[in-house]
Amino acid sequence: MTLDVAKQIPLITLVGPPNSGKTTLFNYLSGKNFKTVNYPGSTVEYYTCKMQDKFNIEVNLLDSPGIISLNPNSPDEEVTVTSLYNHPEFGVPDLVIATADASQLSRHLLLTKQLLDSGFNVLLVLTMKDLLEKKGLRVNTDKLSKLLRCDVAIVNGRTGSGIDELVKKIDKNIKSLKPTSKPSPIYKFKATDKTSLFSLFEEIENLTKAVIEPIEIPDLDRANKEIKILNPVLEEPTMQPDLFTIKLDRVLLHKRYGLLFFFLIMTTMFTSIFWLADPFMTLVDDFFSYLAQTSSQLLGNTWYSHLISDGLISGTGSVLVFLPQILILFLILGLLEDTGYLARGAMMIDKPLSKIGLNGKSFVPMLSGFACAIPAMLAARTISNRRERLLTIFIIPLMSCSARLPVYVLLVAFLTPSDKPWLGGILLASIYVFSIISSIIVVSIINKFSKTFIKAEDNSSFILELPAYRIPKLKVVIKNSYINALHYIKKAGPIILLLSLMIWFLTYMPNHSPNIDTAGLNEEEIIQLEKSERLATSYAAGLGKFIQPIMTPLGMDWRIGVSLIAAFAAREVFVSSLALIFRVTDDQNIQSSLLTAMQTATNQNTGEPLFTTSTVIGLIVFFIFALQCISTIAVSRKETGGWRIPLLQLLIFTSTAYLLTFITVNLLHMIGIN
Amino acid sequence: MRTAAELKHGEKARISDINSDNPSYKRLIEIGFTPGQEIELVNSSVFNDPLAFSVRGTLIAIRRNEADCIILS
Repeated sequence: MTLDVAKQIPLITLVGPPNSGKTTLFNYLSGKNFKTVNYPGSTVEYYTCKMQDKFNIEVNLLDSPGIISLNPNSPDEEVTVTSLYNHPEFGVPDLVIATADASQLSRHLLLTKQLLDSGFNVLLVLTMKDLLEKKGLRVNTDKLSKLLRCDVAIVNGRTGSGIDELVKKIDKNIKSLKPTSKPSPIYKFKATDKTSLFSLFEEIENLTKAVIEPIEIPDLDRANKEIKILNPVLEEPTMQPDLFTIKLDRVLLHKRYGLLFFFLIMTTMFTSIFWLADPFMTLVDDFFSYLAQTSSQLLGNTWYSHLISDGLISGTGSVLVFLPQILILFLILGLLEDTGYLARGAMMIDKPLSKIGLNGKSFVPMLSGFACAIPAMLAARTISNRRERLLTIFIIPLMSCSARLPVYVLLVAFLTPSDKPWLGGILLASIYVFSIISSIIVVSIINKFSKTFIKAEDNSSFILELPAYRIPKLKVVIKNSYINALHYIKKAGPIILLLSLMIWFLTYMPNHSPNIDTAGLNEEEIIQLEKSERLATSYAAGLGKFIQPIMTPLGMDWRIGVSLIAAFAAREVFVSSLALIFRVTDDQNIQSSLLTAMQTATNQNTGEPLFTTSTVIGLIVFFIFALQCISTIAVSRKETGGWRIPLLQLLIFTSTAYLLTFITVNLLHMIGIN
Repeated sequence: MRTAAELKHGEKARISDINSDNPSYKRLIEIGFTPGQEIELVNSSVFNDPLAFSVRGTLIAIRRNEADCIILS
């Protein structure tokens, strides 16, 4: 099907180095209905769309990941390059639009030159000419077009001027296509040696010298003076980086204070994700609770009513409740990235991270992991070294994600004496510090054995352009956050929903209408009693009793076991599941009544109190390490291209969690803390 | 033989060659480190690694061992 479409509708691929304005250009050209395409079996992803209707050209537009050269430096880049030559789904592009920063012409023309040498039909788009104009220079596009023997257009990414001219050139190019003369590019860069690269650059340098010229102003003398003031060395007028950037870097990359600023910026960002998202999360939560309540009232006390309200609606709610956090995370990350600061952050943290087998580029994904592991794993794609990328993905589940917060809040509240409320804050903060320290330890151990765990040998490298600081383009950042959030829902949503339904089934069946003594109870109490009776006789309870021998060494019983199993849908389900099992009926203040219930609960095997200081601390330790999130496993499988890593993660993290919980509980017992 | 890793802060020098022993050498060339280019050590990270160089009008951060294969004239 796709092949036929590809034959009829011309394919245009956008290619360009990072920071060359490619994404901005794609946003100008693309219509609303873009979708992402994966190269089969890999994480290399493309955006594809039609051109906006107003341009009146019917083409398939494909946006490829940014590359510096056609000579790939990593397995992912190799996929990008090979599918540029012949995309498995779309075929050979009829036209390649190559972007290049006009103020970086001597570097960015490398890719364009390689594309032309391969035999692609190329249209070169120059961006950021305003940066060049500030230096009193411009590119003679006619001359460049003649020298390169391809069309050249200039587009201003900030104002969008030049787009119409570009569209005309695209139209002309597409119209001149003949079905018989489809380009058949030849790949010849893998074996490129040093000398030929040097001479290619020499060629490009001569080219740029010929096409960059001073802007002509009627008063030539004055113009020349101005240019001389701006650029005392006329031979190399474009060779100075942005002065403001260099000055700002003196502060932000300062030897002593740089790291301080770094931690300050990161802490602000990290905490703001929590407080900014909180009201929206409550809103989503309340909305779905209301929806579930209304539907169960409408449908009555039947199994399908419970399926719809507890399974379907609550399940959808558990997907969407994290959406505000993910949106805000992407928004703040996007803004930080657009200013140019994130590249500096990666540079500063590269050395310590490389000591434990990671890369400076692992930093942003790990940071995102504190909100949610799913977008974090997607963010790991920027790491070109496969081994480092897999290792980053491997440890992301250890970052204390926001779903663990409700669990920690409950357990910390249990441990905090009512006369010392400040202790709770310290406890919560120390959980985070502990989880960071332990993930560093775990990753260094994994790194030692990484040849067994992660089978990929790559040259570890850190080569990163530090873009000039600039004011972020809010519109683009918002649009990208929206795309990313949508991505999350599409990818993780169905899995989480399916799992929620499965957990619903396990906790609901087979005894869906239990016989209980209803004498002297009102309707609300009957429903609650039915609920807990149903759970106590459900498949989940059966499973819980089956794993009782595993729970006993931890001083816990099957009821905690069931809640831990239920938490695989989403960690915060642990809290609501405990509430269900311990028959907490007061909906108004679930936490305080749950706390009371926990304080009085006894272990069904031993008759001793179930929740003690030692078991609660044990549970916290368990939640720090255990990989209890099916969506994380699913995304990990997708991002690593197989079951190997997600299964290893599940096995290693969950068994570590169990072992450490066992040690913690029993050590505490030995020193006399129950 | 001096390399870019030995440059002092704010010191400028011209590249004479790129040592192809480092597996990253091709990427270094492709990003703009070619013979004849003037580079300047603009910044270094807190741990003195990676280093940020000004080359061809832009700033590029590379690791110290990568800077070590940029030979200066």
